[in-house]
Amino acid sequence: MGRLYLIQLDGRIYSCRHCRSHLAQCDELVSKSFHCRHGKAYLFNTVVNVSVGPLEDRMMTTGKHAVADIFCNSCQQVVGWKYEVAYEKSQKYKEGKFILERAKMVDGDGIDTFHFSDGDDE
Amino acid sequence: MGGDSDVGQPPLKRQKLSKPSHKTPCEGSRTGVAATGSAALMARSICSNDGETVGSHGQIRKVEFVRIIEQALFSLGYQQAGAVLEEESGIRLQSPAVQQFREDILAGRWDECVATLSEIGVLEESTYKAALFLVLQQKFLESLEASNTTAALETLRSEISPLGVSTSKVHQLASFIVCFPEDLLAKAQWKGAGQESRQSLLEELQQLLPPSIMVPERRLEHLIEVALQVQREACVYHNTLDHVLSLYSDHRCSRDQIPTRTLQVVEGDSLKVKYKFTGHSKPVSFVAWSPDDTMLLTCGNEEVVKLWDISTGQCKYTYDKPNSCFTSCAWFPDGKRFVSGGGDKCIYMWDLEGHELEAWKGARMPRINDLAITTDGSHMVSICDHKNIRIYNLEEKTERVIEEEKPITSLSVSKNGRYLLVNLVSQEIHLWDISAATKDLPKKYRGHKQGRYVIRSCFGGTDYAFIVSGSEDSQVYIWHRWNGELLDVLSGHSGTVNSVSWNPVNPHMFASASDDHTIRIWGLSNRPMPKKHDEKPGSSNGFDHLVNGGTRDLLENLRPFNSDTD
Repeated sequence: MGRLYLIQLDGRIYSCRHCRSHLAQCDELVSKSFHCRHGKAYLFNTVVNVSVGPLEDRMMTTGKHAVADIFCNSCQQVVGWKYEVAYEKSQKYKEGKFILERAKMVDGDGIDTFHFSDGDDE
Repeated sequence: MGGDSDVGQPPLKRQKLSKPSHKTPCEGSRTGVAATGSAALMARSICSNDGETVGSHGQIRKVEFVRIIEQALFSLGYQQAGAVLEEESGIRLQSPAVQQFREDILAGRWDECVATLSEIGVLEESTYKAALFLVLQQKFLESLEASNTTAALETLRSEISPLGVSTSKVHQLASFIVCFPEDLLAKAQWKGAGQESRQSLLEELQQLLPPSIMVPERRLEHLIEVALQVQREACVYHNTLDHVLSLYSDHRCSRDQIPTRTLQVVEGDSLKVKYKFTGHSKPVSFVAWSPDDTMLLTCGNEEVVKLWDISTGQCKYTYDKPNSCFTSCAWFPDGKRFVSGGGDKCIYMWDLEGHELEAWKGARMPRINDLAITTDGSHMVSICDHKNIRIYNLEEKTERVIEEEKPITSLSVSKNGRYLLVNLVSQEIHLWDISAATKDLPKKYRGHKQGRYVIRSCFGGTDYAFIVSGSEDSQVYIWHRWNGELLDVLSGHSGTVNSVSWNPVNPHMFASASDDHTIRIWGLSNRPMPKKHDEKPGSSNGFDHLVNGGTRDLLENLRPFNSDTD
């Protein structure tokens, strides 16, 4: 394929577990207390090197949202999703932000982490 | 007298009647010419003044029109024709007083000049004084040069200073009295007495005096050139090599001046591989031909830089640094040095023997994504930290930073070294002026698709009037550089078009490289389509002087000659 354009980040970063392309910086972390089907998930302000899939409405534990799955640019794996619209007022703060699944990421210093499956959907 | 004025009457009446409409005059005056006399001439010249217009919009005054035609005739050397036109139309290029004035100046009869100046026409006080000053200054300088100091002093005292024009200038002239005649020429920046300086005095006066008195030189040619320029700029598809435009019809190129048709589809083995360069351990991401086309620099994707000799196929040198992660390199126009930059946040300048000539590093240096050097070697442009364009002036060692809002994927510099083009991840292409000091907004070009891959674009056509880019939707996009209009979208490829390159000597041809493993050559649509060739795996990610291979091998064309070299 063509030459992928991958953005390199500085500082403490989270990378894709599969291909190690950079995904987000620690500074952009908003909250660590989200959950997804496969375990923990983090909310970020901005992420890089991802492409956004089709928009769809999903019912989550906190209410109905319009979300789009995000894929890692280099290995095409789903790494999380993006909140486009939150239908409940209290959830509006999430709009435009990204969720990255903890299971799909590795920490900046390369240490793998376990993931606990809590079972709840976010 | 009576007979003459009788003949003069009909044309007069005819002209008065048809005043508001089109090109009346010449026919009328031609019939009058047979019996022309001074009275008829005067009668016509009285009425053919003010108000009459020529041309379908009524924007051109007839008097002015005839005068510039006369001037054009005189300057072309057709003195007789000019004189006849003056007589026929009754409109003189310049009044006799002006004629006299010109002759006096060129002959150096200064006192007559001064006298005529007051007769020339209605002049504003300040213009009159300024003109007088110029004439007297010339008289003064000429007397000085002839070592006629007393006459010069006399002029300065009695004629120049009472004018009250620019006392500083008067003081300067006074200071010239006390220098030697030889130094005078240098100090006053004056060419010396003679035709040349008088001619330039005439030109200065021409600019000073209102144009209705003295028509500026070469006025008709200037007007026509301006019109041609406007037509040229309005011609959107203009892509021809000839500079001279015809006057017979408005210039307008049609769409078939830009290459829109695939001439050739080059797939893999149809290009005969001359050399296969192996040696990189990571994918080759960047390639640069030397300006004299004898050497090639290749850059691995965050790896070392290798220099290859084209004639032997040998790797001449491998440029390495601890933690080398070079991403791009650029040649200097002299072909003896090049710069490389990468993720280790340093830019190095190297020569061909492997010596490091210069290094730009430090805590403030950012990660370099792309590098280019302008063709005159004056500026080094680098893309830093994905979003910043740093333009470094190599001679003055100054820098200018342009911050983009979205990440930049690729950089390209125009051949005349004045503009740079960047492709952004946000699906826009921005054109920046390298030398502009102010922060002007860039020209933007939209319509193509990109988001994941490095897509390259470049300038093209004569005068670099086109911007062409690849796109992730397998098409090639061509924009008009000046008005940003999308001229054409060319389909043909079946994969992302990664890179394009316009033929530097043929403005009607360019090439594109794509993920469908082919390279296409595009040309004008009235050329015949040549044959296709066979397949071979290995995608191509660039073309011409920039081939980014997705694989470790580098394919080159020409004679059938396969040799693996290190």
